[in-house]
Amino acid sequence: MPSPFPSFKSKEALQALFRPSSVAVIGASTAPEKLGYQIFKNLLDAGFPGKVHPINPKAPEILGCPCYSNIDAVPDQVDLAVIIIPAPLVADTIRRCGSRGVKGAIVISGGFSETGPEGEVMQEQLVEAAQESKMAVIGPNCQGVNNPHHPLCASWPLLTRRGPVAVISQSGTVGAALMDWASQEELGVSTFVSLGNRADVDEADLIHYFAQDPNTETIAIYMEGVKVAPKFLEAVRQCQKPLVILKAGRTPKGRKAAESHTRSLAGRDEVYEGVFRQFSVHRANDLEQLYDFSKALSYLPRLKGPRLLIVTSSGGSAILATDVAEMTGLDVASLPDQVAQRLREVLPKHCIVGNPLDLTGDATAQMYRQVVEAAASHFDAIALIFGDPIPGASEVVGRDPLQLVIYLGGAEVERQERLLFHRKGIPVFPTPERGIQALSHLL
Amino acid sequence: MALALGRAIQEGRNLLEPEAYELLASYGVSVPPHKLVSSAEEAEAAATEIGYPVVTKIVSPDILHKTEAGGVLLNLNDAASVKAAYGQITEHARQGKAAVRGVLISRMAPPGTEVIVGLTQDLQFGPVMMFGLGGIFVEVYQDVSFRLIPLAERDAAAMIHEIKAFPLLQGVRGKKPADLKALTHLLLKVSQIAQENPEISEMDLNPVLVYEKGLSVVDARVLLHQRAPTA
Repeated sequence: MPSPFPSFKSKEALQALFRPSSVAVIGASTAPEKLGYQIFKNLLDAGFPGKVHPINPKAPEILGCPCYSNIDAVPDQVDLAVIIIPAPLVADTIRRCGSRGVKGAIVISGGFSETGPEGEVMQEQLVEAAQESKMAVIGPNCQGVNNPHHPLCASWPLLTRRGPVAVISQSGTVGAALMDWASQEELGVSTFVSLGNRADVDEADLIHYFAQDPNTETIAIYMEGVKVAPKFLEAVRQCQKPLVILKAGRTPKGRKAAESHTRSLAGRDEVYEGVFRQFSVHRANDLEQLYDFSKALSYLPRLKGPRLLIVTSSGGSAILATDVAEMTGLDVASLPDQVAQRLREVLPKHCIVGNPLDLTGDATAQMYRQVVEAAASHFDAIALIFGDPIPGASEVVGRDPLQLVIYLGGAEVERQERLLFHRKGIPVFPTPERGIQALSHLL
Repeated sequence: MALALGRAIQEGRNLLEPEAYELLASYGVSVPPHKLVSSAEEAEAAATEIGYPVVTKIVSPDILHKTEAGGVLLNLNDAASVKAAYGQITEHARQGKAAVRGVLISRMAPPGTEVIVGLTQDLQFGPVMMFGLGGIFVEVYQDVSFRLIPLAERDAAAMIHEIKAFPLLQGVRGKKPADLKALTHLLLKVSQIAQENPEISEMDLNPVLVYEKGLSVVDARVLLHQRAPTA
């Protein structure tokens, strides 16, 4: 029996938050240690394409931009207000923004429902103000929004790498860590949204929005609990893109911690497990899996079957890979005789021709290519484990059949090759277990 | 709506066990042959009619956990023990000041693999179905699977396959495999019952005995959402 639920925020309403033409930073600061300074500076440094207005009654200018005493004093149209002022002032500020034609707000400030009954009242007032003004509000108690495709970095740290994964997080740090990793690997994100207390915009609105966002291939979510279950389920049902969720608060004490963090109802973990399976959500058990699964689902095609060939220069890595493959429903199938025969002719004698196929420590990129060519048509995927400094690895990997790259123990050569791979859009995984676990989510 | 449900709603109480049986049977779920009786003589006649061995269970709107209340006697093989059982369990109930609606005589089902099929309310997601193997598997290992209703056939099959104890249903150590088709069918039926009767808040079919062919729901508890009785 579907229960009625609030409708999704419209694309237009959310675009004011993710692709505004102009921004006002209410509570912008001249003090470098304050968030009001860092966010304002990040907006400028990321290269926001429109006007950014600092609002602070005490400062004449910040970073060379003329400062206004309040939103009414800004001469131009403002789409988005980023609010970093004490909680008791926020509801009124939103109202003033609304009457000034501002379409959306990101409330960074804490001090709302996460702090107790008084904060809860202020959060209700915030919601009322947003509804009266027909504004979409993210937060409060959040780390903002970063859309490197726009670019709009109304958040911290300053990261600008563009990529295909939308990161939606109830924890600012957890989301920022994901974005930081992606940045370091030259992969990037499509948008980062820190949800905070979800007073207005919630995860269901964002699943609904990013399901239609052309820059997003995969949606990665860190959550402590869903806000409105039927609305969440409807968003998931409609979403055609892969959805990876890390749901925290699995143990009784973890649930308690979730409740005090963002006042989330963490719910029974077994029920979440069932719901995720029922609706084909990829469940991540930790942050690394959230990152790895999103990476695999964004850059690699789905598997047509479970048959996996493991090619390696490292025996140990291949055993680790085999174990995870067997535990996750992949099939490390035996190498067909004619393929084995052919490979024995072309490979050095000391190579162990089987599955896993061990090229041993003096493997060259060329040998990997020979194996892929001979075995391609017999397997649904080939995992290539480069377990030594093997130059030119990124030259020999193709896409048919699916080739999963794991690179470890290669020091400086590995770090260079990884970036070369990533620039080609081929993801590299840092350990056999992480790579194969991610691969199993393509089944 | 099933007749049994209508009566319970009227009286503002949960379903009595014979009513739960009636509800399940009206959806084609197999329950053991049974009869509600209100005297030791009727009990004896019912047992003869149903065939030995039989089980006697107290029927009272005040008793939710029958075994704990001394309201269940299993594996009775003759008239004398049935009559004695009737006296014993009704006496227990009266001592506990529970209103007695009668005693349920039902055929003792042959042993099979014990499973539990349930419907509970999740605070966030609403009605959810639960499946697990009976005994220590649910209580100690919490080896259960959940899905939201309505279940699709693949959901029901997945619920059965994903519990850790699944190999026990496939037959181990010479045991015959359990009838997974019948079990899948049961899950779908319970989902349908819950879907079509939103008055139901909880169901607990525990245990269900699964055989090589078919299954039997030997104990059923059906709770309704709390509301004031209508006069």
